[in-house]
Amino acid sequence: MAHHMISLLVNGQKEKLLVPSNLTLLHVLRDMLGLTGTKNGCEAGECGACTVLLDGEPVNSCMVLAPELDGREVITVEGLAKDGQLTPLQEAFAELSAVQCGYCTPGMLMSATALLRRKPHPTQQDVQEALVGNLCRCTGYQRIIDAVMVASRTGGAE
Amino acid sequence: MLARPGLPEFEYIRAGSSQDVFDLLKEKGADLKLMLGGTDLFVQMRDRAQGPGILLDVKGLPGMQEIDYRQRSGLTIGAAVTLNQLSTDLDLKEKYPVLCQAADTVGNYQLRNRATLGGNICNASPSADMAPAALVYEGEAVLESPRGERSLALEQFWLGPGSTALEGDEYLKAIHFPPPPPGARGSYLKLGRSRMGDLAIVGVAVLGYPDKSVPAGLRFRIGLNSTAPTPYRIPAVEEFLTREPLTEDLISLAGEMAMEISSPIEDVRATELYQKKMVRNLTVKVLKETWESLR
Amino acid sequence: MKISESGLIGQSVARTDIIDKVTGCAVFVDDIQFGPNLLHSRLVRSPHPHALIKKIDTSKALALDGVRAVVTGQELSARMGLYLIDRPIFAADRVRYYGEPVAGVVATTEEIAVQAARLVEIEYQPLPAIYDPVEAVQPEAPLLHPDLGEYSVANFIFPEPGTNISEHFKIRKGDIESAWEQCAVVAEDRFRLPSIEHVPLETHTSIALSETNGEVTLWASSQSPFAMRDMIAQGLGIPHNKLRVIAPMVGGGFGGKAGVTMEACAVVMAQAVPGHPVKLRLTREEEFVGTSVRQSLVSDIKVGCDKDGNLLAMELTYYFGGGAYNDYGVNIARAAGYSCTGPYDVPNVKADSLCVYTNYPVGSAMRGFGMPEIHWGLEQIMDQLAEKVDLDPAEFRRLNCVRTDDEIVSGMKMTPINLEACIDKVTEAIDWGKEEKPTAPNKKRGKGIAIMWKAPAMPPNPGSAAVVRFNEDATVNVEIGGQELGQGSFTVAAQIAADVLGVPYRKVTVSSPIDTKYSPYEWQTVASRLTWSMGNAVKAAAEDARKQILETVADHWDEDVDDLTIKDGLVISFKSEREQPLDKMVIYGLPNEDFEGWKGGPVVGRGHFMPTYVTNLDPETGQGTRAVVHYTVGAQAVDLEVDLDTGQIDVLKIASVYDVGRAINPDLIMTQIEGGAVHGMSSAYESLKFNENGEPINPSFVDYRIATIADIPGKIIGDFVETPIEDGPWGARGVGEHVMVQTAPAIANALYNAVGIRFSDLPLSADKIYLALDEKLAQER
Repeated sequence: MAHHMISLLVNGQKEKLLVPSNLTLLHVLRDMLGLTGTKNGCEAGECGACTVLLDGEPVNSCMVLAPELDGREVITVEGLAKDGQLTPLQEAFAELSAVQCGYCTPGMLMSATALLRRKPHPTQQDVQEALVGNLCRCTGYQRIIDAVMVASRTGGAE
Repeated sequence: MLARPGLPEFEYIRAGSSQDVFDLLKEKGADLKLMLGGTDLFVQMRDRAQGPGILLDVKGLPGMQEIDYRQRSGLTIGAAVTLNQLSTDLDLKEKYPVLCQAADTVGNYQLRNRATLGGNICNASPSADMAPAALVYEGEAVLESPRGERSLALEQFWLGPGSTALEGDEYLKAIHFPPPPPGARGSYLKLGRSRMGDLAIVGVAVLGYPDKSVPAGLRFRIGLNSTAPTPYRIPAVEEFLTREPLTEDLISLAGEMAMEISSPIEDVRATELYQKKMVRNLTVKVLKETWESLR
Repeated sequence: MKISESGLIGQSVARTDIIDKVTGCAVFVDDIQFGPNLLHSRLVRSPHPHALIKKIDTSKALALDGVRAVVTGQELSARMGLYLIDRPIFAADRVRYYGEPVAGVVATTEEIAVQAARLVEIEYQPLPAIYDPVEAVQPEAPLLHPDLGEYSVANFIFPEPGTNISEHFKIRKGDIESAWEQCAVVAEDRFRLPSIEHVPLETHTSIALSETNGEVTLWASSQSPFAMRDMIAQGLGIPHNKLRVIAPMVGGGFGGKAGVTMEACAVVMAQAVPGHPVKLRLTREEEFVGTSVRQSLVSDIKVGCDKDGNLLAMELTYYFGGGAYNDYGVNIARAAGYSCTGPYDVPNVKADSLCVYTNYPVGSAMRGFGMPEIHWGLEQIMDQLAEKVDLDPAEFRRLNCVRTDDEIVSGMKMTPINLEACIDKVTEAIDWGKEEKPTAPNKKRGKGIAIMWKAPAMPPNPGSAAVVRFNEDATVNVEIGGQELGQGSFTVAAQIAADVLGVPYRKVTVSSPIDTKYSPYEWQTVASRLTWSMGNAVKAAAEDARKQILETVADHWDEDVDDLTIKDGLVISFKSEREQPLDKMVIYGLPNEDFEGWKGGPVVGRGHFMPTYVTNLDPETGQGTRAVVHYTVGAQAVDLEVDLDTGQIDVLKIASVYDVGRAINPDLIMTQIEGGAVHGMSSAYESLKFNENGEPINPSFVDYRIATIADIPGKIIGDFVETPIEDGPWGARGVGEHVMVQTAPAIANALYNAVGIRFSDLPLSADKIYLALDEKLAQER
């Protein structure tokens, strides 16, 4: 199987990688770059645990092939906080305890970050539409919605 | 058999021109699969023991990611246009709102950043969410091959579950929609097991528009999915609704007719009987809504 | 009841793990990096629900480049089990469910392992399969475990060799025959509940490493590192001190990561390639089949009351569909047996609770452990009886619900609770009795109530141990073996330690990951038992450390220990008003006058807790002095509407109130109540479905729908009541599982109230509801 040389920006760092065709972005992040905050939950684009931002838009990283990434920019949960300073969204998740086991949280944060960027003042319905692809079995979701709404008042995505 | 982890080995090739596609189709044919968003394809590849040896990514071909609207000739959507791109396009929102509405019901937001209109059409899934809307706007598949370009009405394009009229040397370049009839209104109503994000148990799109030439003064186009081997329109019902001025009773009768025509099979999602009743109820509901919006 | 030392008890302090979890830093087992030495593995699973294994040929798989080992059950006859040792690690001579591991392949990459797994050739001789637990107890049913009589079993479990019954628990209380004669009204029905899956977002993952010296390390996503060590050590004959289980953060458990499922397979494969860590990661699809599921249940219930509605008699048969192996599930049938009446005071009871082998995936622990299963029928039949005797369902429950000191079904005296207060709160929260208009003309609205009880279901004497260790700067490490699954156990442990020690909460760290090599013993993180049992142990350990500090300081100051306390990290004397900071002294002690020697030394507190008061139950009557440690009770009320055009349910409100004994951290309780309400609601619509070959047909998120963020109830109104128990820290008991136990029957009761149709079988699919409505309308016409 031929490999592809790709250059991409991950959380602001330039990366140059040799990747096989069948590797997905999820595994590029987790296995090649050690960015394990992005979680593997289904490898079928259904659970959202692996959500990252690709050129600013949320995608399931299990649904993107590594060779497609040449010249693209990826932001993962590790790229949200800058110099230890949490984003207002992360602060709101912490403040409201919108987290239990925490496995869905990185994906939730990425989807919600993208929502707040494209719609700084979402309604509850907007939040539900934006996060319906992020499954959570623990929290019952209401606190997650509330946290996004709080963040929309305290400073949005960044 | 349970799905495997990760994707099987294959060669990823990005096509730069339609000539690349023709050459590779000719050379590798059976061992090659064209790729757009990949959202259904990857899942299928994990499910199956044997996958294609080559994925040929055609997203980058000229025009594939473009939406082109012209008042006279209508709308052409490149096969690689993502569903999110489509649903936020201002021309579409104004002229073809049912397509936007349908796009927003597919999977989830992340998935719609990858999933494409062309993929949804080419998969030929009976439950394709874009299909009923594409049918009521009388969409045509624009196919490209070394023999040239041809267009095929979507009803002719879908042959059965997972099966299309694409020839071995062809690929889907775009979907073309003629200008919608003046004054058209409509919507897509989808029933899933969850409030959002599920596959359709039944989906119904209706497009209604004024037409003085028929006794009803109105015409309706009705497209359905999930309840036959391919998405389909119901011309008999559409014709029935033109015969006399519309009443609630006539709409109820139309619903009954739609139910009779539908041919769902029981699956993991729903029983045959429920699907049939839902064809009736959803058809009635969307027809009523559309009729309301036309008055 | 001793009051909180520093006021931390009852405060909603922030979770200890919150920052790690919002920054992507929290480490789950699949996140641990092992470097190039790591090997990958896949399991070869049975394509038959029931078959004899005639032959296994691994030669083609072994011949593939990159394959390091192939293991099968034919070289290894070890069986494992928690209560009944009936489960092989790899099937040896027979497979008993579709998906059962038959072989394991170890290779340099996961891709090679996938390919090699397909090359393992297995010859099967299919046997007749049985799926329905009621059919499986019939004499002519195919027998799954002909050797049942030879399996080791806990002394309180009663299998019936020669049948498919792995446990038969009996209650014979009062005089059931004459009681029926006194009943003015009787209700009788059969209820069915399908198997469902836990669906943690993190699938089961393990990495095992067998050193050349025979020591084994297992990294696992586990609720039970110690029970896992115990079962695997016993099964494989490894000394406990040579088997080390390391369990980092768990990405959701719900009972599915209790005991052992696939982890032993990883260990066996690792033993075939000493020196290499071997990773086994289940796909989402495998997670639905290859771990464990909630048991199915068929319950036959007959219940009667006098003309005033007082319950007099109950006769019950529970048929738990236990799946292919019941090593853990037997105790679910037992728990369902000794709690068979639900939270009601019933003087005459005859009950038979059976765990039955079937050719489906392994049934095991899931949030509620038998209680959601039995309450599905119980809480509906109580409504049916209330209707017959013309009582309001809430009133009927107030009349009959169990109260403190009642003699309950097992003969035990009820521990302190206040279920009536829970009923009052939930009925008030949804305006019970007030008829509300539907939000649209094509909808019908209804309200329903359901109550519950649950005791921690476990052996009589599961223990917890804790160590509290001071550091030089007076920060504290709390060491426990209990696991953080998201429920907040680490937070509660830190909170308890900080309160007792008189140090600021932020100065306390819970040592993690849990590591059986260093962490003190904990039986399992199950049964909602941590706040109670681990809480007691941490409290004892902190009190031990506190005592050491105060004795040193008292000696140093020549004062009485009783005159001293610790506040904000300072030892204070009420008498002399002297102060001594904790830092340094908690390690180096304090000098004598003129530095003539020293007192004290590094402060390490130890504590443990084990219930010592649970007694045996008579095998013929199920009666005994104390069946369980205590019960937690609660009530839920639901306000919903049904779309008559589609059969879809919209839950508008769920009110959910539990008696928690004492709220250590009220906000954590609310997170359980909220999450549980949605989990409970989701469970009412969930079902694992199989084809006639026992093969699951919906093992994916596409077709096994769990509640999404768009499906949540309009409003969850949570609250709690505090009736302290004697044996919990500050009176606290658990509430993690209880919060979803009766949601499904509360919905079913509300549905009945809305449309007048009783649904005795789960799931409550829109399909089923619509077709029932349609049929009812047709009949009415």
